[in-house]
Amino acid sequence: MTHEDWRTIRHRLRSPVLCFVALLLLLGVNVLLGVYAPFRWRNIWMIEAGIAVAMVLIVLVFSMELVREPPVIRLFAGVGFYWLVILFSLTLLDYLTR
Amino acid sequence: MSGAAVPVGIEVAEHFQDANQQRHAAVFGMWLWLATELLLFSGLFLVAIVVRVMYPDAVTAVALHLKFWIGATNTAVLICSSLTMSAAIELSRLGWRRGMLACMLATASLGTLFLALKGYEYWRDYVEHMTPFFGFRPYVLSGDRATQLLVDDYFIITGLHGLHLTTGVSVLLGLAWIARRPSFLRHHQHRVEVFGLYWHFIDLIWISVFPILYLLNR
Repeated sequence: MTHEDWRTIRHRLRSPVLCFVALLLLLGVNVLLGVYAPFRWRNIWMIEAGIAVAMVLIVLVFSMELVREPPVIRLFAGVGFYWLVILFSLTLLDYLTR
Repeated sequence: MSGAAVPVGIEVAEHFQDANQQRHAAVFGMWLWLATELLLFSGLFLVAIVVRVMYPDAVTAVALHLKFWIGATNTAVLICSSLTMSAAIELSRLGWRRGMLACMLATASLGTLFLALKGYEYWRDYVEHMTPFFGFRPYVLSGDRATQLLVDDYFIITGLHGLHLTTGVSVLLGLAWIARRPSFLRHHQHRVEVFGLYWHFIDLIWISVFPILYLLNR
């Protein structure tokens, strides 16, 4: 392995390593919220859920490389989650308004 | 790349115009399948959320019995495995076969570690009488029937995820066995990328499982 090889590998691994660090940091925040803030604030779940959504987006966009894929694949992945929005919103609309 | 690098490419099947089209078709097919998997897990997640809305006290009682730290550790283990899988993909693109194989084996090891921790967690649940579906054992929260809904859902979700992870580890080891041949990357580099999508999806599902089951209900 030459110096140039290592530089290429470092360059290629930059994005995965940044994702890894971001995911671990977000997990750390969620774990701290789970350990130190149970029951104190009723709506803490909103922050925890928001962090989880951010983690999912990082995996989708960068780890699964949707950002690099052609529009048709991005559209298809997006539609998969669009169905989820319909599933969750229609079901919870019922339970939350009873 | 010099030294350890080998030629990289895709052997184009006759029904594709070029390697790029073949790669996109493979990625598209994997996304199609992952979308159906997503719907499968989402139904189970929805059950957990509805139970939480309907019976918040029962759900909190269950959450305090779940092994929060094992769940958190397992999330970190899968995040590490996502890094090693991404590294395997990048190294496969560069043609660095040995590094790619090492990263694939590291990914499989981390997946196995996850399964071992999950197995220990199930054992603790069994010992602590948190298995309401076993009629021959008393259930620790038997005074509250609503808790049984979430505990059953917990075992179905984590069991299904464990099944996917077991499949992932098996396929990954098989792929690593095939990829040890020097000619693999010259003909089938895209297979590592397509499998990587599945592995990251398993990670994505657990990233959702951890807050929904272990965290939000505490």
